Amino acid sequence: MEIPFVVNARKDTGLFNSKVAIWLFLASEVTLFGGLFSGYLFLRLYADYPWPERTLPVLPGLINTFILILSSVTVVFAWAALKLRNWRNFQINMWITLICATLFMVLKSIEYKAKFSHQAVRIKTEDHSVKDFAILEGHLNKAEVKDGKLVKAKKNEEGDYSDNAFYANKIIFKADEVTFTLTRHFYDDFLYEIVKQAGETKFELVEDYMQVIIKEDGSREEEVLVNKGEELSAPAIEAAEEYFLGRRSDDAKLRTRYLKAAFAQRREAGDKRAGWEIAQSEEFLALQAEQNKEIKLRSFSAPATMTFKATEPVILHLDPSVVVSRSGNQLRLRDDTLIGGELLDSSMFLAVDGIDFRFTAQRAEEKGISAESAIEKSWVLKQPELKKVWDAHQEWLRAHVEKLDKKSDDKGLVGEDRYVPTENEKYRVNWDQMVAYHRLGYEGIYDQAATDEGIQKPGWIEGFAGADHYDEEMSKAFVKVTIPRENIGFESTFTPRWNTYYAIYFTITGLHGLHVIGGMIVLGYYLFFGRKMYESNPEWLANRVEVGGLFWHFVDLVWIFLFPILYLM
Amino acid sequence: MSADSHDHHDDHHHVLPWWQKYLFSTDHKTIGIQYGITAGLFLLFGFFLMIVMRWSIAYPHEPLPGYLSWIFTDAWEARWLADGKVTGETYNMFGAMHGTIMVFLGVVPLGFGAFGNYVTPLQIGAPDMAFPKLNMFSYWIYLVGGLIMCGSFFMESGAAKSGWTNYSPLAGYADRHIVNQLMAGQTQWLIGLVLLITSSLLGSVNFITTIINLRAKGLTWMRLPFFVWAMLVTGFLLLLAFPPLEAAGIMQLMDRMAGSSFFMPTGLYSKADGVLDISGSGSPLLFQHLFWFLGHPEVYVLLLPAIACVAEIIPCHTRKPLWGYKPMVWAVIILGFLSFIVWAHHMYLTGMGPVISTFFQTTTVLISVPSVILLTSLLISLWGGSIRFTMPMIWAAAFLPMFGIGGLTGLPLAFNLADLHLHDTYYVIGHFHYVVAPGILFGLFAGVYHWYPKMTGRYMDNFLGHLHFWPSLICMNFLFFPMLTQGMAGFHRRWYNGGDAYLEKGAEGVNVFGLTVLEKISLNEVMTASAIAMAIFQVPFLLNMVISYFWGKKAESDNPWEATTLEWATPTPPGHGNFTFDPAVYRGPYEYSRPDHDEDFFPQWEEPKRDKAALAKEEPSKDEETFA
Repeated sequence: MEIPFVVNARKDTGLFNSKVAIWLFLASEVTLFGGLFSGYLFLRLYADYPWPERTLPVLPGLINTFILILSSVTVVFAWAALKLRNWRNFQINMWITLICATLFMVLKSIEYKAKFSHQAVRIKTEDHSVKDFAILEGHLNKAEVKDGKLVKAKKNEEGDYSDNAFYANKIIFKADEVTFTLTRHFYDDFLYEIVKQAGETKFELVEDYMQVIIKEDGSREEEVLVNKGEELSAPAIEAAEEYFLGRRSDDAKLRTRYLKAAFAQRREAGDKRAGWEIAQSEEFLALQAEQNKEIKLRSFSAPATMTFKATEPVILHLDPSVVVSRSGNQLRLRDDTLIGGELLDSSMFLAVDGIDFRFTAQRAEEKGISAESAIEKSWVLKQPELKKVWDAHQEWLRAHVEKLDKKSDDKGLVGEDRYVPTENEKYRVNWDQMVAYHRLGYEGIYDQAATDEGIQKPGWIEGFAGADHYDEEMSKAFVKVTIPRENIGFESTFTPRWNTYYAIYFTITGLHGLHVIGGMIVLGYYLFFGRKMYESNPEWLANRVEVGGLFWHFVDLVWIFLFPILYLM
Repeated sequence: MSADSHDHHDDHHHVLPWWQKYLFSTDHKTIGIQYGITAGLFLLFGFFLMIVMRWSIAYPHEPLPGYLSWIFTDAWEARWLADGKVTGETYNMFGAMHGTIMVFLGVVPLGFGAFGNYVTPLQIGAPDMAFPKLNMFSYWIYLVGGLIMCGSFFMESGAAKSGWTNYSPLAGYADRHIVNQLMAGQTQWLIGLVLLITSSLLGSVNFITTIINLRAKGLTWMRLPFFVWAMLVTGFLLLLAFPPLEAAGIMQLMDRMAGSSFFMPTGLYSKADGVLDISGSGSPLLFQHLFWFLGHPEVYVLLLPAIACVAEIIPCHTRKPLWGYKPMVWAVIILGFLSFIVWAHHMYLTGMGPVISTFFQTTTVLISVPSVILLTSLLISLWGGSIRFTMPMIWAAAFLPMFGIGGLTGLPLAFNLADLHLHDTYYVIGHFHYVVAPGILFGLFAGVYHWYPKMTGRYMDNFLGHLHFWPSLICMNFLFFPMLTQGMAGFHRRWYNGGDAYLEKGAEGVNVFGLTVLEKISLNEVMTASAIAMAIFQVPFLLNMVISYFWGKKAESDNPWEATTLEWATPTPPGHGNFTFDPAVYRGPYEYSRPDHDEDFFPQWEEPKRDKAALAKEEPSKDEETFA
């Protein structure tokens, strides 16, 4: 059996099968990305926070755009070469296409990596009229716990941090005891993490975990299943868990049997009412009370939790995302594991490379307060180092506003037509501005900014992928601050978690990246394994490359839309 | 066509290993049957979930009886039942999975996957689908997706619990306590969904390409059987409507796995966790828009294959051309188009504002026009026909009024004002179950009885068929009609205890239609009894499928129903490659009872007699032109 029109076009439609298919597939891709783009619009229009504008480095994105356009051209050349039966030419052009695709992915991954290691914090201040909402961006420093105190980790002679160092955004807790819940399967990773961090110190079971044995004559006897003092380990909990789940099943079966019997008894007694009426009747409730006495005798009630006590307090550092709630003496982890003890100083050590008051300003406006007075009250400006940066920025802003005024006057603009600084300029200090202010020593900013060339920010090449914290000179500009836990409102790296902009950015570009990889695999297959087909049926291979090329053009087109909405707008 | 068409016969002798022949087959007929069996099993499972739910509604205080609970392990019962009674959480889980299974894993794969796969290439005279391997992948991706979704029943988290619509923020919050989100039912639901959508997309691309490019010689667009038209439109609906839901599914996966807030609003609070530690500013409404952008076309994806089966069966078993073939074709195309712009009538209560509501109300009322054209044409097709009361015809005949009730009860829901009262009540449940169960499923049953002789060479048994049909018809109505009245009395669709908890609080409450919950609560038991009876009367059907395969009455010929479309020109059952000759088509699909023809059917593939006497008598009609 042979499927017709695989190689040659059908006369009345003028198309071979896979060409019909690829256009249909692309139509569905249009609605897929259409769904995501309309998601972008929806999220942006209804965002209740200042939507980040032009926060991504434009240059790599721009280069990527041209790389993809170039590859779209070469893929057509490759197809044309096949049509002309020129294998060599096909190979060259396909190679260029694949190299372009690889370059695109490399640039993309540099951009991603910068985001994954870039931290942001929404500051919270309870006595602030707009709850602060200032945002600090930067890099987390490493910390370690020494003598029960959280301190900055120091590098050793080889330039490495010790094994005990961790990124300084953790919850630090002095743990005395830990309680695992047997109803939900405990999360092994927590257990191992706790044991690992405890090191030499042991957690021991607080009281015997008993099992109940009912003898033939009906008498009950209790026997130890896990001994008091047993060390915290997976097998110890698993043994108790298995017993607990087994007894829970037995109990459920017992109770079900009694409940069934109760209804049967009522119905046999001639009760013709509906089930819900019987269930509320006095006779039925009396019957159940009777039954409960029997159930009590025959039921096993195994404890649903196991508590382990530390031989001496252990200091744990836990990721904030696994801690559902914390109070002075208890932490609750996501799977309901409880840790008792004392919450220690869990400050965050941040090298700040961006200060953003736009959210504060927006919140102030919503509450009818002036943005400036709200900003003034922010926790951020109570930090002298940060205040210095902010003051420098005000100097620059003053010069900038004067420049804009002059420009307006020169053009004779009045009223609303006059130039005003943008929200970004007014309320945000970007990393390159911080570097510039630092290089001027935070002095004479106004004078420098008022000159024609203005302040000297790092250029496009120096700041290709954003702030460089590993550059010794540059990193001095990034103010190191310690943020107490109670002032941390919401924190995240620049991942989908941080806000809906990054969420949609990662989702669309990630999906687009997957399409690029898919296209690379298909086109690479034709390049590396196409020779045999080229020799037996070159037209078929040309068809396939044509179809792959159409897909490649679509991938390019998606990027052409993505670039402006994510990088420029 | 390829030059080696008559080599088809040789292919039958080429022996494939069993796993290639039955398991990883690329033959559209085998894949169709695989789809059919798998979908049938999923349907039975979904049906079972429903019966457990109905037990909880009718007898909320009583433990599940042994005949429903034997399937569960003791540990499962201890986790999910309270003293043997269905809990609210379990009810939600079953409800969500019942809807999901029935729609995504049952009816769509049965209608589009099974019937579409088996019949479409045969009816257009193609040797197979355009991309047989892709077809195989579609099936396997569907199966894996379905198993992932259903497998979550056995996990600690249980299966998804947030309704088949999976609305955020409820669905975004559910199962949050599970650290490894891959092991959460709610996440697996999304992964399964993304796989199912991928499968549907591959399938629809394949179907449309096949229909466009692989039609036999002479099979012009207006000679296509209506079935093929319906599949073409269904293909386009799947192709264009499903991807936005895939986008929504991916976004919700991000919400769960990467902690984003696509659909999670600012300040989301839960009693257990306080204000959630998320960025917020997401839009729950966005999810609903993306969901219903698929959700509404999906209704037509369910419906069209069933209408397609009925439209094939009625002409054949009434020996009369389909009345209004061309209007029906146009109606189905317009229906497909309109179905893309009615979605927000599912969202009147979200506060979209009157302008948008009015727009969607208008388009919704508009879409009833093509729907009525389809149903009326089928109804008028009966007029003056010499009806043969065969099993397929009986099912098809029952489809008409049942689907009619389903369609007409939808009208009040289309209107904003009436919907405010009826939204989320049992009225809605009654409405769409009338469409899907006695409507669509009856149409598909008709299809099974109709094409069974082609698939196996034997008829299905008539006695068992009647034993299946009549009780099913009666039970369906006793199950779904009370829902309409209960809904008018204000029964909420998510009451897991059937309304008695409501009675305790407000027994006197009279709703806008003047009905009370107290009056209608006893109907719960009637409906539950009907549901259980209906389950029992599916047994004759299952038996029939098996018994007839071995001992059924043999079909007299390759065309036992004396039908006109191309699938009956193949050997029985059709071999790999389908046709033993190079099929060509000379006329429209439903040439029954032509006065100028000796027999009462004139198959599409039969060459016209070209003798001079006949030509002299009449002018050759346009339809009879052959394609040189």
